Amino acid sequence: MPKLVLKFENAILREVPVGEKEVSIGRSPDNGLVIDNPAISHYHARVFNEEGRLMLEDFGSLNGTFVNGQRVKMVTLKPGDSVAIGKHTIIVSDSRDLDGFATGNGGMRPAAPKINETVMLDTKERREFLQKVAAVGESSQVAPARLKVPTLIVRKGKTNQREYSLNDKLTVVGKSAMATVKLKGWFAPRVAAQITRRDDHAYYIGAADKVPTVNGVPIVHPTKLSSGDVIEVAGIELEFVYRD
Amino acid sequence: MAMEMDFGARSDTGCVRENNEDSFRLAPEMNLFALSDGMGGLASGEVASRLAVDTILAHCREAEKKPTLPLAGARIDGVSPESNRLASAVRLANAAVYRAAQQNGAEQRMGATVVAARIVDERMSLAHVGDSRAYRLRGSDLEQLTRDHSFVAEAMRHGHMTEQEAGSSALQSVLIRALGIDPEVEVDVTEELVMDGDTVLLCTDGLTRELSDAQIAAVLGESDDAQEAAERLIDLAKQAGGGDNITAIVVRRAPKLVGAFARIGRLGRWIKNSV
Repeated sequence: MPKLVLKFENAILREVPVGEKEVSIGRSPDNGLVIDNPAISHYHARVFNEEGRLMLEDFGSLNGTFVNGQRVKMVTLKPGDSVAIGKHTIIVSDSRDLDGFATGNGGMRPAAPKINETVMLDTKERREFLQKVAAVGESSQVAPARLKVPTLIVRKGKTNQREYSLNDKLTVVGKSAMATVKLKGWFAPRVAAQITRRDDHAYYIGAADKVPTVNGVPIVHPTKLSSGDVIEVAGIELEFVYRD
Repeated sequence: MAMEMDFGARSDTGCVRENNEDSFRLAPEMNLFALSDGMGGLASGEVASRLAVDTILAHCREAEKKPTLPLAGARIDGVSPESNRLASAVRLANAAVYRAAQQNGAEQRMGATVVAARIVDERMSLAHVGDSRAYRLRGSDLEQLTRDHSFVAEAMRHGHMTEQEAGSSALQSVLIRALGIDPEVEVDVTEELVMDGDTVLLCTDGLTRELSDAQIAAVLGESDDAQEAAERLIDLAKQAGGGDNITAIVVRRAPKLVGAFARIGRLGRWIKNSV
C-alpha cells in the first residue's frame, strides 16, 4: 500500500497509508493528514487511488501544492515523488521502502515483507535516523542534568547520613542491607521506597512497602523527580536536588 | 532457604507464522530468565534467538563458578556485579549472533532481540536490546521497565508521533538496535526492586502487539501461579490474532506467609510437589 510520509526539513513527522479511502490534507483536524501550519489551507489537497493509480488533487489552495517543484492542480503520483506544501514535504513511498530506511543493500527486509515482519536498520541507516530525530528533538526533550550531581538531602527523620549523592541506578530507602538511605528504628520498613535512574537519565521514585509522597502527593506509579521535590516516606523527609 | 520464586514460561508460533523464531531459557538456580526474538530468512531467526539465550546462560553459569571471569565490554558504574555480568553476557550474545550471521553470508543475515533478568535478593538486574520487554506488576500497577529500541518508540520519545500513530504505524517493526547487526552493541541495563508479591513479565512483541497493558495486568493479577499466567497470556494473544510468535516468562515473588499460614502453605506445596 502506498504511503505518505510527512516531513519537516529532515524529520519524519508522520506517515499515513493511502488505501481505498482518500487521504485529505489540510489544517483542519478532520483531515486524514493534518498539518497544523498557517501556510496550509484548512482543506488543502487530497490523495486518492483511481484505477490503480495514486492521484493528488489540490483544492485550489492559497499557497499551492508542488510536486517535484511544479505547482499542480491534479497529477498522478509515483513512489519517490516529493510533494511540497508550505514548508512541509510529503514523500510518496511504497510502504515496502520505509522511506529509505532499511532498504540498504543487505538490509533485513525480506523480498515480500509481511505485516509484523521485523526489520533492522543497519549501522549507517541507524546513525542517520538518530541524527534526524535528535536534530528536531532537542526542544521537546529536557536535557538531563549530566554535570550536576543528583542529591538527596535529609530534612527530617533518622538516617545514617545527612545527604546522599545518587550514583547508582537503583537507590533504596529502608532498613534492608541493600538500602543506601538507611532508616533507623525498630519499626522502620525494610524497603520503604525506591529511586531508579532510567534510560532517559532522569530519576524516578516509586512505592515499595510504603507509598511515598512527593510534594504532598502520594506516588503509586513511578514518577520523575525534579530539583526541589520534597519526598516524605516512613517518617523521613528528603529533598531531591541537582547539585552543581 | 532460597527466595520463594514462582516462575513459568511458554512460547508459541502464533496463528500466522510457520515457525517459531522465539527462544527462552530459565535458570532458576540463579534466578536468571532470558528470552529472544530472532529474525532472518530460512532458519536463521531460530538459530539467532537460540544462540542469544544460550550464550547468556552459559556466561552467567561460568561466572557463578569462577567470579573472576573477565567481563566482555566496559564495566558500567552504579550497578551491581550481577548487572555487569548480565550486560557482559548480552554483549557476548551479540558477538555470537554476529559471527553466525557473518558465516551465513550477506543474503542470509540474522539478528535477534533479547531481554534478560536476574534477581538477587530484592534487586533485579535487567538487560535488553531491541523491542522485547520487561514489565513489573506491583499491586494493580503495571509498569513497563524497558524502553523499546524501535523506530516508533524513538519517534514517540521525541514527540514526532503520538501513541496512537505509533500503534498503527507500518514502521512498528523497524528496530534501531538488535543483536547480530554490528560487532558490538550498546546494551541497556537497569536495576529495579522486586518485592514480595511483585510479578515480573518478560515477553516478545508478539504479546504486546496483541494485548493492552490492562489485559496483561488483569491476567498477571488474577492467575494463581506463574505458569498459568504465562499460558493465559499466550492464549489471549492468539485469540487476538496471534500475528507473530509469542513468548512470555512470568516470575512472581511469593508473598511471605507467616505462622500457621506458612505451615499450611508449605504443606500444600509439599503435597503438590510430591504428586
